[in-house]
Amino acid sequence: MDQVIQTVIIGLSNGLIFALVALGYTLVYGIIELINFAHGDLFMLGSMVALFLIATVFHLSAATPPILLIGEILLIIALTMVITAAINITIERIAYRPLRHAPKLAPLISAIGMSFVLQNVALLIAGPANKSIDNFLPTTNLLSAVGITSVSVTLQQVFVGMVTLPLLVALTWFVGKTRQGRAMRATAQDPDTAGLMGVDVNRTIALTFLIGGALAGAAGVVQILYNNVTVWNLGFRFGLNAFTSAVLGGIGNLSGAVVGALVLGQINAFSDRYLSANWTNAIVFGVLILVLVFKPTGILGQQLADRA
Amino acid sequence: MTDLASAQGSELLTGSLPDERLLVKSRRVTKQFGGLVAVNEVDFDIPRGSIVSLIGPNGAGKTTFFNMITGFYTPTAGTIDFDGQPIVTQRRNRMKGKKPHEVAELGIGRTFQNIRLFGTMTALDNVRVGANVHLRSRWWDAVVRAPRMLNEEAATLDAAMDLLRLVNLEDRAHAWARSLPYGDQRRLEIARALATRPKLLLLDEPTAGMNASETQEMTDFIRRLRTEFGLTVLLIEHDMRVVMGISDRVTVLDYGTVIAEGSPLEVRQNPRVIEAYLGRGAAEH
Amino acid sequence: MTGATESPKYGTGLTGWAAHVGEVLSGLPAAYRRELGSNRRRAIVLTILAILAVTYPILNRFFLQGFSRNVFPLPLPDDTVVTFMMIFGIMAIGLNIVAGFAGLLDLGYVAFYALGAYTAAFLASPHFGSVSFVVLANVANGFPGIHLPFWIIVPLAVLVAGTFGALLGAPTLRLRGDYLAIVTLGFGEIVPVVFRNMADVTFNIGLGPISIVADHLNLTGGPLGINPIDAPFLPFLNIRFNASAGFAPVYLGMLLLVVGILVARNLERSRIGRAWMAIREDELAAEMMGVNTLRTKLLAFALGASFAGVAGSLQSSYLGATTSDFFQFSTSILVLIMVILGGIGNIWGVLLGAIALTYVDKTFLPYLGQQIQAIAPSFPNPAQFNFLFFGLTLVVMMRFRPEGFLPNRQRAAELTVHGLIAAEIARGEEVGVDNLGMAPPGQDEVAGDARAAETVDESEKE
Repeated sequence: MDQVIQTVIIGLSNGLIFALVALGYTLVYGIIELINFAHGDLFMLGSMVALFLIATVFHLSAATPPILLIGEILLIIALTMVITAAINITIERIAYRPLRHAPKLAPLISAIGMSFVLQNVALLIAGPANKSIDNFLPTTNLLSAVGITSVSVTLQQVFVGMVTLPLLVALTWFVGKTRQGRAMRATAQDPDTAGLMGVDVNRTIALTFLIGGALAGAAGVVQILYNNVTVWNLGFRFGLNAFTSAVLGGIGNLSGAVVGALVLGQINAFSDRYLSANWTNAIVFGVLILVLVFKPTGILGQQLADRA
Repeated sequence: MTDLASAQGSELLTGSLPDERLLVKSRRVTKQFGGLVAVNEVDFDIPRGSIVSLIGPNGAGKTTFFNMITGFYTPTAGTIDFDGQPIVTQRRNRMKGKKPHEVAELGIGRTFQNIRLFGTMTALDNVRVGANVHLRSRWWDAVVRAPRMLNEEAATLDAAMDLLRLVNLEDRAHAWARSLPYGDQRRLEIARALATRPKLLLLDEPTAGMNASETQEMTDFIRRLRTEFGLTVLLIEHDMRVVMGISDRVTVLDYGTVIAEGSPLEVRQNPRVIEAYLGRGAAEH
Repeated sequence: MTGATESPKYGTGLTGWAAHVGEVLSGLPAAYRRELGSNRRRAIVLTILAILAVTYPILNRFFLQGFSRNVFPLPLPDDTVVTFMMIFGIMAIGLNIVAGFAGLLDLGYVAFYALGAYTAAFLASPHFGSVSFVVLANVANGFPGIHLPFWIIVPLAVLVAGTFGALLGAPTLRLRGDYLAIVTLGFGEIVPVVFRNMADVTFNIGLGPISIVADHLNLTGGPLGINPIDAPFLPFLNIRFNASAGFAPVYLGMLLLVVGILVARNLERSRIGRAWMAIREDELAAEMMGVNTLRTKLLAFALGASFAGVAGSLQSSYLGATTSDFFQFSTSILVLIMVILGGIGNIWGVLLGAIALTYVDKTFLPYLGQQIQAIAPSFPNPAQFNFLFFGLTLVVMMRFRPEGFLPNRQRAAELTVHGLIAAEIARGEEVGVDNLGMAPPGQDEVAGDARAAETVDESEKE
């Protein structure tokens, strides 16, 4: 039983990382109906950038004093988010925007090409082997303070929530309450009419990519700080899980993406633990296929755009 | 087949003929999209060999009704029989309708309000696709070029050219459909529908965008189709000259319900119809 | 060309067949001329190129050694590479049926490649060592494993891959294009994973009186794969067609490729080919005209899959071994790039794409890598980053020439306005705004996706 709870907790942490990446997929799909194949690889680049900043620029380690640690981590998150956002906007500009009026499959194929490009860039720069850092976040079981020793929750795991949850809240506020957020929702509903109503469609789409990219960058930082490892094809597994989360929750639906991600975090954790990591990807694909075949609108249904 | 062309419109009213004289029999057909009821409990018969027009203001549900007969939509309620066979059935609350290609196989052909030709295929190939539904050779016959396939291909080619000749397009047989002038495209669409060897031809605003002489040509052509091919025709039309000119019976739809039915003359003078088209007050004149 | 009159009525039955075959054979010269086009010089050039291509392997062995890198600046492809050109050619033509003819994006094509390869591996190797089933094979009776001859394995691979194609397609072909792409990608991942992980299968299933037991059964060889696999063998001439057999396998591949081309051609110019075109152009209208769109798409999918099955069985028999490592997502994309680069929808185009990309992947990039390593040893080896180039190729092609280098006119027209204009000029049609056949403004038709290719690309105006 304790094992089960522990697995749930592990699944929760990874699920939150999936959520950040899933939001990028769902936002972009909601607004231009494109499955951004390269998004998972953008997340991977984010984790590479973060690793570089942590290890080579800021030299963070267990010896760093906590206040400095917190400050520099925040700085690293901000920097990484800016970098991945910038990359994402650039990709949109050169690979997707020119194809906006092309048949639907053209930008998808372009995205696939882009995915390979990003992976190989990482391969070029970082090499084929896993790149890791030594963990420097405390791994003491916080629950031992209240007397529980059979299940463990570490600061490392809580840290994941500390980064992801504020971002989720901020995103919800942004999309729901701000003018630009409304513009995004309007463009998702009907880009032509939104344009006629004065919305700068190009800029709104670019903004969507910016936000999605930034979230992927944040997720990359969390990935490095929590899982401590990154590799050039990390994006495949995370992209698969994040996209499946988005579909499971209802593509285009923000809260759905988060719910889906939490579910997938659990699926991953339980599959890794009780089956074998070899089968996990296949199982996730299986989930994806089942959802698409039997309930393509997802469990929470589509929301950002109500397009069939 | 009785000469229904000379029958009075009132003899062809829905519900007034025995089932064997009907090509289409629909009862209580309803289509609801969420909260919007597009078609509301419509009874609608099409007698064999007749030309029936379905008219009504924009948004009245005419095309929706077309789409239900052809199987593109499944009605929310009601039944539709075609040529004695049920194509939409209702068992308690479960609706079961035939798929469009099955309906086409049974003998319903149609054209579209906004032309939907296969633009980058030749006129000839467009018509030949229509003929597919009755061909019997299989893909392996095609792979090995079996005599059965070659014979069918030859026959299809001849039949398609005949249809193109019928609509005066045989010298443009190898032109891409999308490069044809508008009027030719309309006629090509009809040729394609005829290639499916229909018993019932549904024409959705066949004279839209045509001038007076083109409209007259089309009207004569539709009449020809009835006599030469033994077709029954259901027309959606806005052009009253066409409706008056060739319909044996007219049914008027407004907000999804039938508000009038009868001969063209009767319908034209019906105050409810005038009101529907021109608004209240116009009927008083 | 569609519209050309095919032969007139034949009797069915053997005499009809014989007459037909006779007429086809006697009509070959005319067909050949028609195929090459009316330009005399072009026809001669193409004929010479065709002869060179067909005799290349022999020429390479006996005459061309001196040419490589002396006269021709780049290395000429060797027998293995040319064999793989045939293998990928078969796959490109198969994927062309799915994506080019029927317009379905299949991102998991490698799954069928794997299925074909493992079919050969199961049926022509000592893998199932506990049984011995040797039929007409070049192996002694009593030798462990199942050993069927290659000539039987190929049709079986067709059957296996085609069946899986139908099984996969049946529930999924109703999905719209991008979702279908993802689902096929999933299948393309799951199949190799299954092959990779079934090397140690243990189960105990009881069904009433029957119980099926497996104890550490090595079903698929796992990551180590299955080897050796019997080479294709021609008993009368005592020729083996495996990797150590020189240029003979090239001709085996060429034979299968030619059959594949014929099959694809015949399908294209038939009612099913027209149905595919119609579905691609306007699926709704096709359905309304009586085309069973689901079944027609399924046929494209299954037939395309069977081509990959043939390619896979040839590949594993040629190499004499197979493993799940051979079958990655990147292979699906590589074949897709061949199709797009060469010309989607055009059989000769995709064949050209297959030949060109196989050459780049297996000869050119390694050669480039060698040259670079010689000069600057620490510089990255392009052969290891081949997908950087291929990925960029995809992005660039979709942006600038999605119809490929040998375009199929219809696909070109569907993909770009430029393509439409070019295609119509080529056909001698006059192009004017009215001729694009727009209907007058009217009420919206129900459903159906907008044909975006008809709208001018607005971003061009920026």
